[in-house]
Amino acid sequence: MFPLRGCGRQIAASFTKRLFPLARCSGDSAAPGIPHFDVVVIGGGHAGTEAAAAAARCGSRTLLLTHRVDTIGQMSCNPSFGGIGKGHLMREVDALDGLCSRICDQSGVHYKVLNRRKGPAVWGLRAQIDRKLYKQNMQKEILNTPLLTVQEGAVEDLILAEPEPEHTGKCRVRGVVLVDGSKVYADSVILTTGTFLRGMIVIGLEMHPAGRLGDQPSIGLAQTLEKLGFVVGRLKTGTPPRIAKESINFSILNKQTPDNPPIPFSFINETVWIKPEDQLPCYLTHTNPRVDEIVLENLHLNSHVKETTRGPRYCPSIESKVLRFPNRVHQVWLEPEGVDSDLIYPQGLSVTLPAELQEKMITCIRGLEKAKMIQPGYGVQYDYLDPRQITPSLETHLVQRLFFAGQINGTTGYEEAAAQGVIAGINASLRVRHKPPFVVSRTEGYIGVLIDDLTTLGTNEPYRMFTSRAEFRLSLRPDNADSRLTFRGYKEAGCVSQQRYERASWMKSSIQECISMLKSIEFSSSKWKKLIPEASISTDKSVPVRALDVLKYEEVDMELLAKAIPEPLKKYTECKELAERLKIEATYESVLFHQQQEIKNIQRDEALQLPKDLDYLTLRGVSLSSEVREKLHFSRPQTIGAASRIPGVTPAAVINLLRFVRTAQQRPVAATKSPKTGQCLCDTEKLEEQQL
Amino acid sequence: MWRGLWILVARAARGPCRPCTRQGSGAPAPGSGATIFALSSGQGRCGIAVIRTSGPASGHALRSLTAPRDLPPARRACLRLLTDPRSEEPLDRALVLWFPGPQSFTGEDCAEFHVHGGPAVVSGVLQALGSVPGLRPAEAGEFTRRAFAHGKLSLTEVEGLADLIHAETEAQRRQALRQLDGELGHLCRGWAETLTKALAHVEAYIDFGEDDNLEEDVLERADSQVQELEMALNAHLRDARRGQRLRSGAHVVVTGPPNAGKSSLVNLLSRKPVSIVSPEPGTTRDVLETPVDLAGFPVLLSDTAGLREGEGPVEQEGVRRARERLEQADLILAVLDASDLASPSSCNFLDTVVTSAIAQSHNGNSQRLLLVLNKSDLLLAGDLDLSPELPPHLLLSCLTGEGLDGLLEALRKELTAVCGDPSAGPPLLTRARHQHHLQGCLEALGHYKQAKDVALAAEALRIARGHLACLTSGGGTEEILDIIFRDFCVGK
Repeated sequence: MFPLRGCGRQIAASFTKRLFPLARCSGDSAAPGIPHFDVVVIGGGHAGTEAAAAAARCGSRTLLLTHRVDTIGQMSCNPSFGGIGKGHLMREVDALDGLCSRICDQSGVHYKVLNRRKGPAVWGLRAQIDRKLYKQNMQKEILNTPLLTVQEGAVEDLILAEPEPEHTGKCRVRGVVLVDGSKVYADSVILTTGTFLRGMIVIGLEMHPAGRLGDQPSIGLAQTLEKLGFVVGRLKTGTPPRIAKESINFSILNKQTPDNPPIPFSFINETVWIKPEDQLPCYLTHTNPRVDEIVLENLHLNSHVKETTRGPRYCPSIESKVLRFPNRVHQVWLEPEGVDSDLIYPQGLSVTLPAELQEKMITCIRGLEKAKMIQPGYGVQYDYLDPRQITPSLETHLVQRLFFAGQINGTTGYEEAAAQGVIAGINASLRVRHKPPFVVSRTEGYIGVLIDDLTTLGTNEPYRMFTSRAEFRLSLRPDNADSRLTFRGYKEAGCVSQQRYERASWMKSSIQECISMLKSIEFSSSKWKKLIPEASISTDKSVPVRALDVLKYEEVDMELLAKAIPEPLKKYTECKELAERLKIEATYESVLFHQQQEIKNIQRDEALQLPKDLDYLTLRGVSLSSEVREKLHFSRPQTIGAASRIPGVTPAAVINLLRFVRTAQQRPVAATKSPKTGQCLCDTEKLEEQQL
Repeated sequence: MWRGLWILVARAARGPCRPCTRQGSGAPAPGSGATIFALSSGQGRCGIAVIRTSGPASGHALRSLTAPRDLPPARRACLRLLTDPRSEEPLDRALVLWFPGPQSFTGEDCAEFHVHGGPAVVSGVLQALGSVPGLRPAEAGEFTRRAFAHGKLSLTEVEGLADLIHAETEAQRRQALRQLDGELGHLCRGWAETLTKALAHVEAYIDFGEDDNLEEDVLERADSQVQELEMALNAHLRDARRGQRLRSGAHVVVTGPPNAGKSSLVNLLSRKPVSIVSPEPGTTRDVLETPVDLAGFPVLLSDTAGLREGEGPVEQEGVRRARERLEQADLILAVLDASDLASPSSCNFLDTVVTSAIAQSHNGNSQRLLLVLNKSDLLLAGDLDLSPELPPHLLLSCLTGEGLDGLLEALRKELTAVCGDPSAGPPLLTRARHQHHLQGCLEALGHYKQAKDVALAAEALRIARGHLACLTSGGGTEEILDIIFRDFCVGK
């Protein structure tokens, strides 16, 4: 099926020769010999790699364009992946067969699940990653992905054409123009330019145009987007200095040891690459009043801090911590950058002071007295595009077949970027094949929460995922991401491998089977007490108790339950993951029952789609205030559910919209104009599937 | 296919906040499984009040209140003794009707209780219904929306639905404002604030507790806040059961520039000297309330201070209160001095109060306004032609009584509209709603204490906060994040 396996590597090796075995040559008579791909992805960061790989997995001939092949998979900031909320996103990316979780299982040096004691719904899978290994493994994966070609080149402009009449948008993207003037045609284009749109690096009072230290920004592309009418905003972020490992006195610092055994990120891995005992530790130190002094005395030398551009509240520089929370001691985690790296990453010390002052500040911290700074910390300011200008499939409203993913949409973080990358890749590919878009609802995953928040509310600071953003937190857990997304990914997008699909199916049916078994086993509480003396089962109720309720007790697990009732429970303890997931299902059973009801209601609203081509400003026959019209016009909600979440859209407006859609659906003229409307107004069957 | 519709409107109806994140997840799900109840007769004088339920638990509710009798035959009126299922105290002898779905008004199982119209009985039945598991007070327009969702309304009937929902939402908002005005509102907002803060701290502990140096005692502090809140709610609910004074009736507010004759009108309508009348502008400083019977409707008539930049702190406060009262009015009686229409204060009043109220009523706002030109006895023939741009108005002389009949007729029409609308949130229903959500909040706080893990504990707080948000509005995720980033130095 994939005769081209392995060719990616050759292409990358010989990119200068412009050899595109996967590309069709353009059929346009006007442009003979110009390569033509189904999907072109611009950018090789965390969004770009996921997008390109996802598009290729979906069966599209894909080209990844990047400034430099050797920066593909580069972790530009912290040497870690995952965390609370972010780990959830990674499990979902993995459930759609994305790359980052699997690569992390091959590249981590310190695996630790956060929030162990706070309940499985909020466990945060996290790992320190070896930067070099990650990049190597990612490049190996990307260069060996069938149907995926990689080419170096900076994109300067987009090729635009007349819009397709059956879709909204003022034009359609047909391809890209590179800096050297050469062209590549594409049926869909995905922009994942990170901080490169008019990127500007700031250290002290100095500013250099750059997307990342040492890399040129994209200015032409930013201008093109602005000319097309995209609303552009500006954000800032920062990164700490890097310190020489051998210059740090670790012996006087607190050591944090990793998990043993390490828990892998990916559903298809049972172990990670590294031996548990070979993992590297992290160390903890703290700032002190001297650090505050240096920051406060030198504010006049720090233009990044003075700027009004919005920075993230939750990833603050040391300057903003000192300014907002004076006279406090702040944590600094010293994290390894890799197995054979000489560098240490001081997490929590993001700073934009002039380099010599950074060094001075570092050396007054405990354990860092003799520390040598190898690279200074710096701030980055960059353009982002108001994400209310894209649909939940990440296609822009303005330009057909143009998709955005990652920091360009105002997010921050590798995991947030990867999550959007997968969705953009899938949808760019589906769009080429004229298939309906793949949209994850906020009831189905953190990916849905992320994209719904961005597309309906926009953002004015770098957006990061937290579990507090998810209203169905107890349902959207790291352990069940596969039963939420893998089946849809397999059936609707075709981005999931057969092997993964079968594994997820087996797991889901085993869980369902065992849960109904556990519901059917009932004994009196006194009998349970005899069967499992370890459990503190109260005997004051005379009603029979289900095995599922016994499993809810903290001290009971499947192992214990199967020991008491070997037949038929023994077989469910053979797979450790299955046994653990059953325990989690039992823990949340009663709450999930209520949550499922609410989820179903929301999904019904989401199933009521609005025609994409509604011109809200001139729409006749529906009574909407001009304020509501403006709001709907800008955000272009795709469903009645999304419309009702836009602040300022009143209940009456929602009803009016519904009525309008329903009447329009009954008129044949309107129906031909928006062929999808009628079809999507039905309740979708999949909603009835039980979610685990 | 329309089943889900009313839910989303109900969620949207709670305010401009987003139902999902901004509203906070915990809002008790108005799921299609819920059974709703409401007083569906108007609040005018009536011998019989009708209370309706709709939803799957209707049959259960009917049986609970009429125990030990079984369900009456479908669609046949039966006399039954209603008792409170909790205390088994008898409530009333009432006619009950049982409409199994889909042959009912909403298409769902419905029950109707025709009880004797006194406030004590109605309140007792509403509270008894609220105590039946699975029942909750209806949101604005929810009965109609359910009927719509089950295809019981034609498309033409649906045309009016949007306006109806808008009007009902407005009416409930005003009703809630009145209920939340003063001590009770102050209490509710205080509770919501405490709860939001406790939740924010628990959320911070979940999202940032591991890597960042939160204070050690974050959870303990949240625990003690929740405990205090629990005690306060408990005390309040015990207290509230004894019954708080309800200001029932349509709220009619008399307003206008100083010295237009507002107090004279109030005295004329109530047929007693409620307000001191003097030629001196600014005589009325506080809001004076008097319950009156107008054209057969119970009305709470409020005399307010003349709207102007008040002289001195007392009058300024009076003007502030007057404006506040205006917000809450069902019907505004705007009074102008007919002989003084050209004066700056009259023009200003016309521009700000009258035209904006009229404009809003075109937008489906249910607040009504009658413009009264007083002191018609001072007018010479043809005087009024000087101001042809005046909106529709009535001429009246409080001194001679000329025009009073016309005014009473107009009032009767307006009050029929205001009071005849059963969904306008009569105070009894508001109180039932209030109690339902406070009880729900209290239950959720109980779950918080028993929760085995922090994620479950936070879920309980989210649900508790959702209940309070139904009373005070607000309750979004952004609020939580704001508190987290204000109170803690989190992030790396």
